[in-house]
This record gives sequence, structure tokens and C-alpha cells, in this order.
Amino acid sequence: MAKAKKESAPKTVEVKYDDGTVVTVDPSKKGKLSKRESTGYAFIIPYVIAFCVFSVYPVFKTLYLSFTQYKGGIGIEPQWVGLAKYDLTIHDPLFWKSLVNTVRIWGVNIVLQLGLAFLLTIVFIDIKYKVKGLAVYRAIYYLPNIIAATSIAFMFSSLLDPNYGTFNQILTEIRNLWVVIYNHIPFIHDIMHESGGVTVRMFDYMRPHAVRTEWLGSSKYCASTIGVIQAWMWFGNSFIMLMAGVMGISSDYYEASSIDGAGRWKQFTKITLPLLKPIMLYVGVTSLIGGLQMFDLPQIMIAKTTASYMSIRTVIMYLYQFGFGQNKDVGRAAAIAYVLFFIILIFSLMQFIAMRSEED
Amino acid sequence: MRIKKLLALSLAGIMAAGLVGCTGGNDSKSGSNSKVDKDTLVVWTLAKDLETFGKHYEEKTGKKVKVTVIEPADYPTKVATALDGGDKSVDIIVGEPQMLKNFYEAGYFADLDALGAKDYEGKIVDYVWKVGQSDDGVQRAISYQITPAGFYYRRDIAKEVFGTEDPAEVGKLFESYDKILETAETLKKAGYKIFASDAETSYFSGDEPWVVDGKLNVSQARKDYMDLCIKLYQNDYTAFAAQWAAPWLQGMSGEIPQLTADTMWGVGEEGDVWDADKFAEATKDLPKTQVFAYGLPAWGVLTMKDNVGETSGKWGVCSGPASGFGGGTFIGISELSTKKEAAWDFVKFCTLDPETADWWIETSQGDTVSLIEALNKHAEDENAIYGGQKLYKFWLEQAEKIDYSKVTQYDTIIGDAWGAAISAIKTGEKDKDAAIEEFYTAVSSAYPDLVIEK
Repeated sequence: MAKAKKESAPKTVEVKYDDGTVVTVDPSKKGKLSKRESTGYAFIIPYVIAFCVFSVYPVFKTLYLSFTQYKGGIGIEPQWVGLAKYDLTIHDPLFWKSLVNTVRIWGVNIVLQLGLAFLLTIVFIDIKYKVKGLAVYRAIYYLPNIIAATSIAFMFSSLLDPNYGTFNQILTEIRNLWVVIYNHIPFIHDIMHESGGVTVRMFDYMRPHAVRTEWLGSSKYCASTIGVIQAWMWFGNSFIMLMAGVMGISSDYYEASSIDGAGRWKQFTKITLPLLKPIMLYVGVTSLIGGLQMFDLPQIMIAKTTASYMSIRTVIMYLYQFGFGQNKDVGRAAAIAYVLFFIILIFSLMQFIAMRSEED
Repeated sequence: MRIKKLLALSLAGIMAAGLVGCTGGNDSKSGSNSKVDKDTLVVWTLAKDLETFGKHYEEKTGKKVKVTVIEPADYPTKVATALDGGDKSVDIIVGEPQMLKNFYEAGYFADLDALGAKDYEGKIVDYVWKVGQSDDGVQRAISYQITPAGFYYRRDIAKEVFGTEDPAEVGKLFESYDKILETAETLKKAGYKIFASDAETSYFSGDEPWVVDGKLNVSQARKDYMDLCIKLYQNDYTAFAAQWAAPWLQGMSGEIPQLTADTMWGVGEEGDVWDADKFAEATKDLPKTQVFAYGLPAWGVLTMKDNVGETSGKWGVCSGPASGFGGGTFIGISELSTKKEAAWDFVKFCTLDPETADWWIETSQGDTVSLIEALNKHAEDENAIYGGQKLYKFWLEQAEKIDYSKVTQYDTIIGDAWGAAISAIKTGEKDKDAAIEEFYTAVSSAYPDLVIEK
């Protein structure tokens, strides 16, 4: 944003910055940093150093390790094995199973997360409902995001315990209430029997009975359960993104469309939704990147000895086993990391292209 | 401008210094041991016992020891990270049998033979001495305790149901998996449960190595053990008391509520099995039963001591269908320690000193030491909780039967996978074929170099 003022035979050039400062630059000293520039660079040096040490170096070191056989140890150097670890990973059924597990959890999560965020966005932008205190709601919805995953894991482990968890207790009470209604109100009883089939079979065993669903211990439910918890954690974040996107849409579009006779639904589908696509793409891609790297919740909530463990083990949990477990194989853990990186890259590109082609 | 530049440069300097600090693991003054003076021995352990040993060592020798107790689950990662990073500040490291082979391969344990360990060969129970050796036969760690497994049984119930309380005779009731099921059925008919949980047999599982010449070995004994666990669970032979939960510990002192597969982790909203008081309140109206036996290593004596209550004196210990062992803390010296001689003095004090062994037997009130001289000295000691049974003599006999060549570095992961298969079958989560197929997949993924013949 600098404007250069050239004189007829300049030995030096005056550069005027937006803040009003004027700096004299000598073009003959090309390549040398001005005082102002060097100050700027000095400011970013700490970040650049940290970025190189903690991000760039590990990325390349991991790439190198993925081509080696290395278990750690004093004086033990990694042995170059070429693509062997990638070959092993790609032909490993448990790697693919863990990827499917991860995608299943993410699938449940993203549908609920975006669905809920959209629903709330519609409610908050619709003038009909006139919801006040958006900032308060936004803060409340965002709260789960700032709670540590370990705390969330502990809380939900307690709530979902099959025997004494609050969730099953509520289901038990609802079920018992329904049993009372079914047995004591002839009208309901008759309707249920007339409808026949499934409903009758469901309530054939009509006596108070405790619900003991294994939300985390059974392969049938655990992926969905974790997905729902993830959605609860992240919907507030998506909601804020979508609201920011909506706020950025010019009111001119809505006014013009109202004049043309468009209703609220038409405005939402023809104006809001298309203009929100970049935000949706951003939310989708970041959720995918985060989702495929899921680790903390399932690792804390599902013990290795639980029957559902194999149905919940995510790619990063699988990687962790080789990186830090009993059968340590750092090369393989690194190869899994890179295979996952390429899978995320492909998914992200596909998502990006799909959104772009729709826009075109 | 000058101030800004100065500020920026100092920030950069601070950051750079921080980074140097982060990577300064090679410096003996770094990390959590930075305040320790140069003569203090630094011990990283996963067993609290070593804190007691450390204090005793300080009292006896006047030398200083700093003991850091690390959670067992975090211990291997912590040691690997520190030693791979070249941390010289740790002098003593320890390990349990299942993690030792990996530690030896990584070169974390120093050569104790070079410090004179060979002079003590034959003084420690054989299997413990061998567990402490790396594949090249070099001594790298020594344990102060032996941990052979046995069945702790109720003498009064044995007398009532089987007409004998003699450990040798009762041992015959557990001599094979089939015999255990027979015994379980007899006890069930008499109103008792053979075991508190179906995990009591885990120390006696499949008396063969998991891997032989690079090949996975799923022996008939392993399959029989799987059937045993499934039948114990599905025929309600056990008390469904999860190991270390309140009912499991309560079973040592007498009656416990009769639980089922559905209630084994809790009864009602307040009946959490990990909370003894709440559990007792929630289960006060349930029918009661009594447990006949617990399968535990020699250190089970310490657990029983705290929990037998009024049944003290009514217990006995006998052998099981196989010779297994469980746990044990092995002490060694970090390869990077700069105080190896001083550290060797500490290792010798904890494991090879007869006076320390006597002190530990008294202090721990019943732990079984590994020093043969001490075991022989206490061979005739009678333990009142076990009706006067001579436990040190019994444990030494059991330890002599242990064949350490059956232990492989694959045991933990393959054993866990086999346990997961058993768990899935017994609870009805999977059928037997599917569960075993999943076991093979898990093993081949974890150890792709193993030959697997189904």
C-alpha cells in the first residue's frame, strides 16, 4: 500500500505509508533491508522459528521416517526400507477398517453438526421469530468447544453408563411411563393392537423394565454415540461461521427480492444458501480434516478390552498404537500419517471441486 | 523505532532460548530432575515400593535417592522419550516383564554383568534371573520379588463340599480346564461360585508360547482356555464380580450379592461396583453367595491381607493347571547414567542384600522376595491367614516350575487380541468363527512378519 513519489533524477525515493510515515529509500542499495523492513522481519522471526521447529521440521522428519524401519532406542538409527511401510499400510485390512470407523463417526457428526447449525441460523435470521440476545446464545452454543475433551469424555461416560447413567435412567422412566399408559388406557391399547406388527411386538413384553443400552460398549451404537457427542461439541462453531456468513450478505438482495415477491423460503434457498457456499465449504473441509484426525474422545472413552473397541478405533488411534504401543514401529506410524494426509487431501479436493462446479 | 527493534529482537531471543531449552534433553541439568544435586541417584519407577526402598537405602547408607513414581500406562513412553532424547539425568529405570524385551532391544538397560552381576548368579530364583536377561544372555535387570500364580481358596468351603482342605488335594480340583469346570458345577450345586470373576484363570492360560520360530502358535491349550472362559461365563459359574471392583474385594471376606452378566458393573442408579458403600446399600436385598477361589500371583497375599476380614485363617493356596506368573518390578540402570557404579550399589541393595530381603518381608507384610537365601530362611514361616500354611516354601516350589522360554515379546498384544475374542464370544457380540478370524487379522496387522497358519 505504499505510494512511491519519483523525482526527475532520483538518487533516493520517498515511500509514503498509510499511517503517514515517509521513508526515504535509496534504489542503489537494492537488496538491502530498510530499517522499517528489518523491524518487521524481526517481529515475525519468533513465529517463523517456532513454525519451522514445531511444524516444518516434524512434517519432513515424519516423511523421512515413513521410508524407514525404526523402533527407537539408544544409538539405533532408522534403516531405509523404501516404500515397504506404505505397502504394508495400504494392504492392511485393519487400517481400512479404522478409516471406515473414522468416516462413520465423522458422517454422523457432520450431518448433525451442520444440520443443527443451519436450523439455528434459520431461526436467528428469520425476522418472524425476532430472537433477542444473539450474543448470549452464541456464547452458550460455543461453550462445548472450549471444554477440554477429557472433561467431555468423563461427563458423557457417566451420562451414558449402561447401568447407572442418567441417559438410560431417563429412557427407563419414559419406557415405564409408556407401559403404564399402554396397560391402563384402553384407547391406546386398542390403537397399538389394531396397528399390529412391529408396535405390538415391541410392547409385547409389557412390564416395567430397566433400559440397559450399551451406548459405548456395543459395536452397534458406539460410532453413532461418539458422532453425536462430536456434533454437540462443534455445532456452536459452525453456527458462528454460518451466522457470520449470513451477516455478510448485503440486505439489498433481500429487499430487491421482496419487491419481486419472493417469500422467506425462496429468499433462503435462492439467496442465503448460494451465498453461504464458501462458508459451508470452509466448515465442511475443516470438519473433515479434524474429523479424520479424531483421537481424543474415542481413545479416552472406549477401553481396549471393550467389545466395541475394534468398531471405534480411528485411524489416529491405530497410528498411536504403532507410534507408542507395545509393538512400536515408528516408520509404519509415519506411513499411516502420510496415507491419511493424502486421503484428507483427496477428500478436500473433491469437496472443493463439487462446491465449485455447483457454483459454476 | 529503535525501541521497537530492540523489543522484536529480545522477543526473538526469548523464543530462541526457549527452543534451546526444549531440545536440551542431553544436558544432565535439564527436565524435572534439574534441582537434584550431582550425587543424588534419580529413580524412575512405576511401583510405589521403590519409594520405600529409596528411603530405607538413604537411612542405611546416608546416600541420597530421588524417586519419581510414574503411572504404569505412561511409563514406557516416558522412558523411551527421555532416553531416545539422550537424557542422562535418570540413573535407575524399572520395567515389568511384558515391557522388558522392548526395553532391552532399545538399549535402555545397562549391562549389569560388566558391573559384577555374574557373581550373583544362582542367588536369585531362576526364572526371575532369566527375565532380567536380554536375548544375548546379558543381565540387564533384577527383581526383588517373585510372582508365581496360584489359586487362593476357602478351606472351610473345600472341607464342606469336597471333604478336604489340604492344598495338595484341592490343587487336584484345578489341575486341568475340564476339572475346573467339573469343580465349578459341584460348587454351583452347593450354592457357591468357583471364582469371583472369569478373569481368575488368566494366569493359567495356554501353557505354550504364542510364537514359535516366527510362527503364530494357537495351541489346543489356548482353544481349551477359550472354551473354559466362555463356559465359566455362560453357565453362571462365577460371581460376576469384576476384578478390583468392590464386590470382588468383598468376596474375600465372605458373602457378596449374587450378580449376573447384566449387573456385574452396577446395580441400579446408585449401585456402582467401584463404590463399596453405595454398592452395599443398592444390593442389600439381593440373594447372597460366596466365592470359593481367586487366581492371583504371589503378591495377591498383600491384597488378601487387607480384605479377608473375618475369613482370616480360613484360606489356603494351591497350584493351578499351568505354571504362570504375573507382574514383578525389575530394576536396572539407565544406559545413559553417569553414575553407574552408585546405581549398581542401589540395585544390589534392593535385590541381592539378605538384610534388605528380610526387611522387605517384614515391611510389606508378606511380599515374596526373589533372593533364594531369604526364601529358604523363611521357608518354615507360617501365615496365619492361610491356616498356618508355609507360603514362602509354596511360592518357591511354584516359581521353580516356571518355564520362562514360553514368554515372548508378542505376548501382550496377541494375548489382548485373544482376550478380546473370548470377550466377544462369551457376551454374544460375535460368533466363535468371526471372533477368531478377527483375532488373526489383528495379529497379522500388528505383526506382519509373523507366519500365520489358520
